[in-house]
Amino acid sequence: MTKPIPNSTTSGEGREEGKGKGAKTKPRYGLGCEGSANKLGIGIIAHDPETNQSRILSNIRHTFVSPPGTGFLPKDTAKHHRSFFVRIAQTALREAHLSPRDLDCICYTKGPGMGAPLQSVAVAARTLSLLWDKPLVGVNHCVGHIEMGREITGAENPVVLYVSGGNTQVIAYAEQRYRIFGETLDIAVGNCLDRFARTLEISNDPAPGHNIEMLARKGGKVLLDLPYAVKGMDCSFSGILASADILAGQMREQQARIRKREQKQTNGESGAPNGDATAKQEVIPEGKEKSQGRSEQNEVIITPEDLCFSLQETVFAMLVEITERAMAHVGSNQVLIVGGVGCNERLQEMMGLMAAERGGSVYATDERFCIDNGIMIAHAGLLAYETGFQTPLEESTCTQRFRTDEVHIKWRD
Amino acid sequence: MAANMDPSFPCALTIEVPFPTPRLASIALKALQVDKELSPLVKRNFYVNPSASGSTQENLESCILRIEYKATTNRMLRVAVNSFMESLNLVIEVMEELDEDVLAAKDSVV
Repeated sequence: MTKPIPNSTTSGEGREEGKGKGAKTKPRYGLGCEGSANKLGIGIIAHDPETNQSRILSNIRHTFVSPPGTGFLPKDTAKHHRSFFVRIAQTALREAHLSPRDLDCICYTKGPGMGAPLQSVAVAARTLSLLWDKPLVGVNHCVGHIEMGREITGAENPVVLYVSGGNTQVIAYAEQRYRIFGETLDIAVGNCLDRFARTLEISNDPAPGHNIEMLARKGGKVLLDLPYAVKGMDCSFSGILASADILAGQMREQQARIRKREQKQTNGESGAPNGDATAKQEVIPEGKEKSQGRSEQNEVIITPEDLCFSLQETVFAMLVEITERAMAHVGSNQVLIVGGVGCNERLQEMMGLMAAERGGSVYATDERFCIDNGIMIAHAGLLAYETGFQTPLEESTCTQRFRTDEVHIKWRD
Repeated sequence: MAANMDPSFPCALTIEVPFPTPRLASIALKALQVDKELSPLVKRNFYVNPSASGSTQENLESCILRIEYKATTNRMLRVAVNSFMESLNLVIEVMEELDEDVLAAKDSVV
């Protein structure tokens, strides 16, 4: 289980000053509810209309973690969100030291995401809006990520790479829309990593992608051959996942073969007395080490670490390629990485190398803002609310499909 | 119920949920009826009698949320009602713990 995230202030010195100076006009407060996948997040943000600065008053999250080898199913995830909603909301209000009366609007994720979890959070957000008599604001999840990334990093007009368990898009802003330059043709890059974690049956706690990253850091002796699937501005991950799964299957067979061979050796050499057998077994790991990644037949020994390393290198190289192409197109040298996969430090490093060669830089945030959270919904919702946008109760539904470029970004020039 | 039996939707269930006040009954209705029934094999209707300033009997009526479910098969009816109950449960929990007077009372205790 992940721990609730302590509240924090966004970077930048002006924010604290703004708090003291902006006493004349009251800041606006938005509460955001996010639950489009396996994270339930509720956050409260304040916008100071005089200084245009934001302050994060609380940002609480609870993650539904499924057992190793399994993914999160919509039904169980919705149940998780329903059972934690009240607790998370109470904590968010308490940390922000606000009463519902102070809020200006209740923001919730309208989509895209999984239907049942989205709907469970929308029902709760509607109830809050009716109980507290505050307007509702439906927010596009992707726009939430982009706006929060811009706010935290201060990136002016970056090319955005949005990579998570459900989405993979390269986005650039033009004329009040976030336009999609390239995207995945099948599964999201995060889904590819998550499902490979299931193949290896590694833990989903705190996140499968995080555990893959940790394993990949230990690998790197060999780069195993995987397909590279960039198609114009788009890319494809499902074939890569299938190939990685095949390699994982070969690894298991290889491990079984080696185990058998070693067993044969111990059985053959020792006549059988028990004490002798255990002594021999202790010797085996040493013998394995001596072969240094090669078995006796001189075949390459595949390890989970090398598999994770190879998978990451391949898919991240693809993402860097399509991002670079978008940057050349738009003439921008800033990249902003948002979404859960965005906290992967290897992806940030690879993107940084590319951006540096172009004389630019990468903007990324840490797991508080990369991974789905309530504060980004509150932030994007409050931006929309300030332009006069509200979602009437009758229209406060959810939608599993809600493209980034459907939203009119009225708050930017 | 037998009176308005629909031959193509023979499986019916009416649920009555009493709330402490007409306000909460109407909030539950508004929060729950937004999401449409996903299957065309299920129909449903929500009612709360409008609160009248008259007798207490009428005011009690306006505290009751009434939901009529009709479905083609018992299975469809069960699936729809189960999902409704889960949402209703959440709405009631939010009311119990996050209504303004509840929060204010908690604050004064602390």
